[in-house]
Amino acid sequence: MSVNRRFVLKSLVLSGAAGLAMGIPFRALSSTANGTHNSLPVMVLTNGTAIESAFLHGANTGNSRLQVQRVSSDLAFMLDFERQMRNSKAMRIIGLLDDTSATLIMAMAGSAGARVQWLGQHTAETGFSRHHLITTDSADGCTRQLSRQLQACGAGFSLHEEHHNNTMPARQLDGLGPTGNQSTQWATSIGFLLASLGTHPLMDAPLTTTASTPITGSFVSFSIEV
Amino acid sequence: MSEQNSAVLPKGVVQKEFNKAVEKFRTLLGEENVLLQADQLIPYNKIMMSVENAAHAPSAALTATTVEQVQGVVKICNEHHIPIWTISTGRNFGYGTAAPVARGQVILDLKKMNKIINIDPVMCTVLVEPGVTYGQLYDYIQKHDLPLMLSFSAPSAIAGPVGNTMDRGVGYTPYGEHFMMQCGMEVVMANGDVYRTGMGGVKGSNTWQIFKWGYGPTLDGMFTQANYGITTKMGFWLMPKPPVIKPFEVIFENEEDIVEIVDLLRPLRMSGTIPNSVVIANILWEAGSGNVRRSSYTSEPGHTPDTILKKIQKDTGMGAWNLYAALYGTQEQVDVNWKIVSDVFKKHGKGRIVTQEEAGDTQPFKYRAELMSGIPNLQEFGLYNWRGGGGSMWFAPVSEARGSECKKQAALAKRILHKHGLDYVGEFIVAPRDMHHVIDVLYDRNNPEETKRADACFNELLDEFEKEGYAVYRVNTRFQERVAQSYGPVKRDVEHAIKRALDPNNILAPGRSGIDLDTYKKT
Repeated sequence: MSVNRRFVLKSLVLSGAAGLAMGIPFRALSSTANGTHNSLPVMVLTNGTAIESAFLHGANTGNSRLQVQRVSSDLAFMLDFERQMRNSKAMRIIGLLDDTSATLIMAMAGSAGARVQWLGQHTAETGFSRHHLITTDSADGCTRQLSRQLQACGAGFSLHEEHHNNTMPARQLDGLGPTGNQSTQWATSIGFLLASLGTHPLMDAPLTTTASTPITGSFVSFSIEV
Repeated sequence: MSEQNSAVLPKGVVQKEFNKAVEKFRTLLGEENVLLQADQLIPYNKIMMSVENAAHAPSAALTATTVEQVQGVVKICNEHHIPIWTISTGRNFGYGTAAPVARGQVILDLKKMNKIINIDPVMCTVLVEPGVTYGQLYDYIQKHDLPLMLSFSAPSAIAGPVGNTMDRGVGYTPYGEHFMMQCGMEVVMANGDVYRTGMGGVKGSNTWQIFKWGYGPTLDGMFTQANYGITTKMGFWLMPKPPVIKPFEVIFENEEDIVEIVDLLRPLRMSGTIPNSVVIANILWEAGSGNVRRSSYTSEPGHTPDTILKKIQKDTGMGAWNLYAALYGTQEQVDVNWKIVSDVFKKHGKGRIVTQEEAGDTQPFKYRAELMSGIPNLQEFGLYNWRGGGGSMWFAPVSEARGSECKKQAALAKRILHKHGLDYVGEFIVAPRDMHHVIDVLYDRNNPEETKRADACFNELLDEFEKEGYAVYRVNTRFQERVAQSYGPVKRDVEHAIKRALDPNNILAPGRSGIDLDTYKKT
């Protein structure tokens, strides 16, 4: 089976993200790009993590033209992904994946010469989340917005931001929580922020819809531009 | 082009001087090959070490495509005293990734120098540029149906032979000691000269990839794990693909079995009955690379208790130690050696032998069998999901291939890791006389307290192992200066004397393996 076909078939099992186009090859997705950062088409990478629907909920609200691509951490997928990044027209790729998949995606992005505006490491514990972000000017304001939103929700969090190649010192923001059932709000907020990067910074992310069961674990978010 | 204002600059270089160098780099390489923007540099700054990314942030990255361009880069660096950190694919993960040893160094990325210059299927040799990946070579061999086999480390297809060999990495086939299989380098020196090792300096020579030693001093080793030159071509030997490969596993239930395993194995390795770099993986290496997650068993902080390790063994059928090896040759040769090997383990009676036919496609057997057969895969990256959090530092002490020594090292490492609330995730890679004892110090880099613990743990591992006369063979960039100290002052004096002679401006990767003219003081 070709990798592209596998992309499509795997995408079909995603059901919680109505309105999202699934499994579109890079070339087709990027054909509408007009080359400006704000209006690039956006592809979301997913791989079935528990946090996925919360992230997709935010991303879909932030950008209605999203395409969703299911990823696998096997070699065939990664090599094909790298080839597609090299040959694609301008587009952005965002995601919130497990450590293994994200390590490989970032390695492929590096060898394809992609730009990375945002790289986040996230740890979700019951009632608390920790975030280590490396950001660029393109993602300016996102960290404050994320912090503000998590505070408003009463979520407990710790947020550390390193701004690459900037004289600004690393920033530490903390929320005392937990006061509510907001264990996945951070994922929804990051999905929203990354999908809408540079478009409407004053809007708030939607509230999460999947807070009934705490989701714990380690995840990596990213925004890559090819 | 507007003036660049960088927050990250090479140590001792002012903005104006840096900008002059950048303009020259642009003229030499073209605008698109001089990367200065933050979003272009983040991919080079994704580290897994126990320190903030800022400590290893590059000021710029350059991509070159020809030897002449590399010579030009070196010339500019000399003129403006710009330190340069060269990478080929930058895929050594727990040994430091692509990031420079010191903040502000300019990365010279050779990924675009990716030509397979020559493969000789008769002499079983290859000559490649630094950006060639094992995946590229594998595809080439498959496409041309060449009777050859590759040896690579676990990142396999996405890593490359030049980077791995220059870092003295190992693989899992009979050609697994990669530097031993290297034959002929081309190196751009700090003064711009292009030096070819071995037979490479002889005009018209056709033995550059055939005969290593050449004439007079043999200097190839001097360029590995070092900063005396930039390797722009490297030759190495390929294994003829044997008609039969028989991978197998022997599973041992108890941690204490390591003594007998190693002592049984050593004669088989020394005699060549088992010809490949055997692996003995502990339960957590096995479980992590087999997609088992810690969170499935416990959410408690700290190290994973032995009771849980036993539970994982019970649930998965994995051993406390899991030995992977393979036999190679004709069916007749393999049959004879299989009888010898299986008789040894049957007679011993503690290990459970698993053949490929029995294992089928189960992991981690499948990926181990593939690595021993020269087939690339990415399965071992599953380790990064064991604990999660993006922290990974490979602690790799060398051990005698003697059971009692392996037991001592494993126990020492486990004690120190547990003291710091981390897991012993280890494997031994077995040569006839030595073992690379590779321990993946996995930790949550997103937790500042755990990151501090991991840092302290790594330092304590280095200290305590040194007290016992052990040292690591390779280490990530955070600890390279510390490890250089383990090898004694005379070695360091010699290394710095060579550095002064070959690179007086200290432009090539200062700090690599602790070699840095600006900071080193003779004791």
